Amino acid sequence: MNEVERHILVIGGGIAGIQASLDLAEMGFYVHLVERLPSIGGKMAQLDKTFPTNDCAI
Amino acid sequence: MDVGRHPKIELLAYSEVEEVEGDLGAFEVTIRKKARYVDESKCTGCGACAEKCPTRVPDSYNEGLGERRAIYRYFAQGIPSVYTIDPNACRHIAWLRAREEGSNVKVKKCGICEKICQAKAIDYLQQDRIIQRKVDAIVLATGYEVMNPRDITEYGYGKVPNVITAIEFERLLSASGPTSGHLYRPSDFVGKRSIPDHLPHAKRLAFVQCVGSRDKRYSIHCSGFCCMHSIKEAIIAKEHDSEVEAWIFGMDIRAVGKGFEEYRLKAESMGIRFIRGRVAEITKGKKGLPVVWYEDTKTRRVQSEEFDIVILASACLPSKDASLLVEKLGVELDSFGFIKTRPFAPFDTTREGIFVCGCARGPADIPESVAQASSAAARVAQMVMRESRKAVAQ
Ligand SMILES: Cc1cc2nc3c(=O)[nH]c(=O)nc-3n(C[C@H](O)[C@H](O)[C@H](O)COP(=O)(O)OP(=O)(O)OC[C@H]3O[C@@H](n4cnc5c(N)ncnc54)[C@H](O)[C@@H]3O)c2cc1C
Ligand code: SF4
Repeated sequence: MNEVERHILVIGGGIAGIQASLDLAEMGFYVHLVERLPSIGGKMAQLDKTFPTNDCAI
Repeated sequence: MDVGRHPKIELLAYSEVEEVEGDLGAFEVTIRKKARYVDESKCTGCGACAEKCPTRVPDSYNEGLGERRAIYRYFAQGIPSVYTIDPNACRHIAWLRAREEGSNVKVKKCGICEKICQAKAIDYLQQDRIIQRKVDAIVLATGYEVMNPRDITEYGYGKVPNVITAIEFERLLSASGPTSGHLYRPSDFVGKRSIPDHLPHAKRLAFVQCVGSRDKRYSIHCSGFCCMHSIKEAIIAKEHDSEVEAWIFGMDIRAVGKGFEEYRLKAESMGIRFIRGRVAEITKGKKGLPVVWYEDTKTRRVQSEEFDIVILASACLPSKDASLLVEKLGVELDSFGFIKTRPFAPFDTTREGIFVCGCARGPADIPESVAQASSAAARVAQMVMRESRKAVAQ
């Protein structure tokens, strides 16, 4: 359909922002992901393992 | 995480949104890229700088249970994998600033990292950069904040040694944490320059549920994921060391989710004890260890028990870091302070073109946050494409 590139801003780079960015980028949008902290990951990056499978968080 | 390398994602870490103007299909966004005092394009992430940096500060990634240097990486596997200088800690930046202001220079200059860096990436004079982007829609994924339980004075957080929050406990359990995953009592090592040898392992753990949640004095909402994370932390601790005894104190256990009840049953079969009742008070016992006072509603008796570490499952609250932004965007909040949505448009905020997912809209665990993020992305696509069809038709 379109030749125009559509841009989306995602604010917050925790697991929710990361997943939304990846989905949007895979759909063909150009994503700008803004995170306050020096790296992305959010709270999940601080977790040891996650329930209910005890997979490693990162 | 492919976000850092995806050709269609511009990653703006260490940045904040300053201003948003316009509407769906035509937002103009002003973003402040904060100075890292390190050239991102040159830094190889080798870490030689941090090894030599003489300035130590409490490490926020480890919830203050460990230390980092003034030049640091937020965490080892962090993306982007570049170093950042904390301008409030760095002596050299303090010295440069004092000299520039002509004020009495009390601090000594340093500049060690600049000398060490082979890539010549250090730039003490770097400035914040303001950048502009035009976007069709916005997704808010600003997450939540873990309640600081200091206000709940009867639980002794900050006063009784070894009463900690669950997120602090996650760092204690982690191989990348301050104790390399050894379960030591915080009072045995926090504030010491290095971890002393031959520390005893913590054997008796108490998990206190609904700290600040389901409590009229603080938040009446259920934080949703804390029953499960306490069960998880108890299981992991027991898997590390089978001698660990773990007690979980709560009014009820909310294990609603795929595989969650099975997970709780697994914990029970491992000998983890579930005590039904709300903890009344945590005091400092004779040996300096925390004592949990509780009513066991099954036996109808008030009892007390001493532990090595007491872990508070503190509430999932609306993020203060995001409140200013939310105000600027003009999206409405619900009665709990999370971003407001409607039952049949669960990822639309009250402002057209702005969407929300994850804990910014209310407590959600990781699987749910991920599902919400995908739903919000689909909703964005739907709205943006509808707008562009409208534009073509006109
Ligand atoms: C102790 C503990 C253990 C847990 N264990 C589990 C578990 O085992 N399994 C599980 O499923 N869930 C677990 N959870 C829940 C899990 O943390 C959340 O589900 C998940 O982190 C939510 O992700 P999010 O992206 O919505 O928010 P967050 O992780 O909070 O991410 C939000 C991001 O947005 C950034 N941000 C905030 N404001 C701004 C702003 N103004 N501008 C730019 N960026 C901003 C933040 O810096 C952060 O990186 C646990 C929670 C706790 C407290
Ligand atoms: S998830 Fe469990 S501990 Fe957390 S608020 Fe709800 S009932 Fe309380």
